[in-house]
Amino acid sequence: MLIDKEKCVGCGNCVPICTMGVISVVNGTAQVNQDECVECNTCYRTLLNEGYNPTFVRAVRWLLKLFHVAYDAPPDLCPTGALTPPKLTWPRTLRAEFSDPNVKHPSTGGGGRGTEEIKTNDVTGRVREGKIGFAVELGRPGLGARFHDLQTVAMALAKAGVFFEPNNPVTHLMTDIKTGALREEVLNEKVMSAIIECRADAAQVPEILAALRRAAGEVKTVISAAIAARCGPDGSVPYLDMVREAGFTLSLNGKTNIGLGRPRFEERQQAAA
Amino acid sequence: MTNRLHRQGTHDGLSRDYVVFVTVARGINRTGSGPKSQRFLRLALDEGPVNIGVNGKNLITGGDPEQMLAGITDESHPSAVFSNLEAVRRLVGKLKEEDLGLSVTISALTDEVDSLLRSQGLVRHSIEHALGILGRTERLPTQQVLELTSMCGHGCVSHNHARKMIDWTKLGKLTPRQAAIYLARPCSCGVFNIDRGEELLTKARDMA
Repeated sequence: MLIDKEKCVGCGNCVPICTMGVISVVNGTAQVNQDECVECNTCYRTLLNEGYNPTFVRAVRWLLKLFHVAYDAPPDLCPTGALTPPKLTWPRTLRAEFSDPNVKHPSTGGGGRGTEEIKTNDVTGRVREGKIGFAVELGRPGLGARFHDLQTVAMALAKAGVFFEPNNPVTHLMTDIKTGALREEVLNEKVMSAIIECRADAAQVPEILAALRRAAGEVKTVISAAIAARCGPDGSVPYLDMVREAGFTLSLNGKTNIGLGRPRFEERQQAAA
Repeated sequence: MTNRLHRQGTHDGLSRDYVVFVTVARGINRTGSGPKSQRFLRLALDEGPVNIGVNGKNLITGGDPEQMLAGITDESHPSAVFSNLEAVRRLVGKLKEEDLGLSVTISALTDEVDSLLRSQGLVRHSIEHALGILGRTERLPTQQVLELTSMCGHGCVSHNHARKMIDWTKLGKLTPRQAAIYLARPCSCGVFNIDRGEELLTKARDMA
């Protein structure tokens, strides 16, 4: 994100809105740390442009300061519309693709983090009986992640024998899905978060979780990891014991696909046979 | 996206927080899904959600829910947030009856969702749990802040924005409801639970 210094009056409203905390007011105007900015456009989308003349606003602010009058502007306004989304070029375009939920990933056509996971599992059969899915999200909550950390984790998971989901934006950046190595030109790009999506046989779960824990010790950010599975016919969850034995605690809340999607994966398989 | 999975909170806090959304499978049932997604959101609106998300807008930024409904296309995947388990139960019952053919996911306490589904004659198909946060957790803010910011599915509610709203609530510059609405504004997917936000901010204010 760019800030038009002619327009910016240094009100500071954008500072706390920034998801990465990389906007600051210096010498009366806001500035963005471009290396740390993930181009999520949250500041631009959230702060309503009041469209005031900057000279007018600066004069009012000067008068208020002169008479020691405090004024708390509503926190969702930019008085002069100084925020200016730049035109991005590769590889910086990745930042917006992964961080702005309104931008689609060219690789998968999806917005947000670009993954379907078990949300459509009733139709896709992506994670079937006997298999366990993983969604390893680096940067969440709220710290961001660079792709070299994603590579570290992807390569650790690859060594543990996972199969990377082909229809996933991070997989599309891999030079070799057997190793998890990513394209070199993207490694320093920073995003709000990105998800490594993979699956494996249930028997591999302990090794995968151990590899994940080791890799987490090598990255500079946080990882919000998730585990997923097709439930049994009685709704049972196949990974409860193996997760506990690996020393992890499952969340109280989760995402449940309630099985209303059509055509069901099994129906599609039968039709194809 | 795991975006609606990683909501933080206690069992009590999460027991008033239910996110229901549809997802179309690219290349399988996306074409022609627009009217079905509209019907889903219509049924959800009838149950009084506290927030909805359509095409990057929520109830705070999108204005009229009817206009948001009319804007749904095959590319949309609308969502609705409820603070009331019974509203979700009724919605699931209607979705089962209408058999729209869209994949429906509920992000909430898994034990409650399991019971709810069984009460409607359904069995959960697939499930996803969070395994906790690994890595540089010392860089994270307080749990009080995380419970607020984690309600945005895509991480668009910043920790600093939450801190500011907590402070402004404590200072009496905003009511908890007003502050919750400001927090909900950046959340494009519309899954920020404004009721829960108000509850958390009230608790933060009263801790002073």
